[in-house]
Amino acid sequence: MARSIRKPRPEGIHEPNLTPLIDVSLVLVVILLVATPMALQSGIAISKTATSGRSGPTTPLARVEISILDADHVSVNRVVVDRANLGPTLGAILRAAPSRDVAVRCADGVPHGVFVSVIDEAKASGAAGIAVLGR
Amino acid sequence: MRRLVPHPTLITRVNVTPLVDVALVLVIILLVTAPMLSVADLPVDLPQARTREAEDERNISITVSGDGELALDTERLTGEALESRLAARLAEPGNQNVLVVIRADSGIPYGQVRELLTHARAAGAKRLAIATRQKVEAGR
Repeated sequence: MARSIRKPRPEGIHEPNLTPLIDVSLVLVVILLVATPMALQSGIAISKTATSGRSGPTTPLARVEISILDADHVSVNRVVVDRANLGPTLGAILRAAPSRDVAVRCADGVPHGVFVSVIDEAKASGAAGIAVLGR
Repeated sequence: MRRLVPHPTLITRVNVTPLVDVALVLVIILLVTAPMLSVADLPVDLPQARTREAEDERNISITVSGDGELALDTERLTGEALESRLAARLAEPGNQNVLVVIRADSGIPYGQVRELLTHARAAGAKRLAIATRQKVEAGR
């Protein structure tokens, strides 16, 4: 007598498929990991004058001139101020000045980071354009 | 009355979802990292700044590391070769008005950066920017 063999019933997948969820989460993590350093990098646009400040405007208030003397001292329109007081001083001058353009001259030995912090502060104080002067 | 229970059916097709997902991950990684590959891998500690502008734009970068090594985009070169190489790059079609970004280490003397700016100007750069790292202030 032939015995009938029972076929096992095919079972469906009852659990939710987590693979797409995990994949999408990994995508987000990778995007964040890669994009964070890029998002934190930016730049400050400058214009470089071809010659020294002597060929600039002759009226003293036509633009604000900053000279970075060393890491702790700068001069704004030939008045020496402490680096820490640059922001308030420059803000007051820029509010009264007819032009919001700032020309920056920097001593060669000053670290590049100090130079950038000064032009950053000038921008934050309301400078419209930054021109870098030669020697 | 007997109710008919539908038989659960087996999924006999290949599940392509993980494949598509992994492919999308690769595409996104390539898209995001492509601009980073155009910068030299010199160790540079960029100066921090609060203000930001001149970003997300096609540019030619000049990188100066803390120990004075120089690179134009990914190509390492000497100071003497910089001006001619940059002039050649700027002469390429579509590069006439491209932004030239100086990526200089925050510790190098400003004199080196000034020389780079002079070289860039002499090479024909019309638009210049200094690369910075965004300063993240707590509580903002």
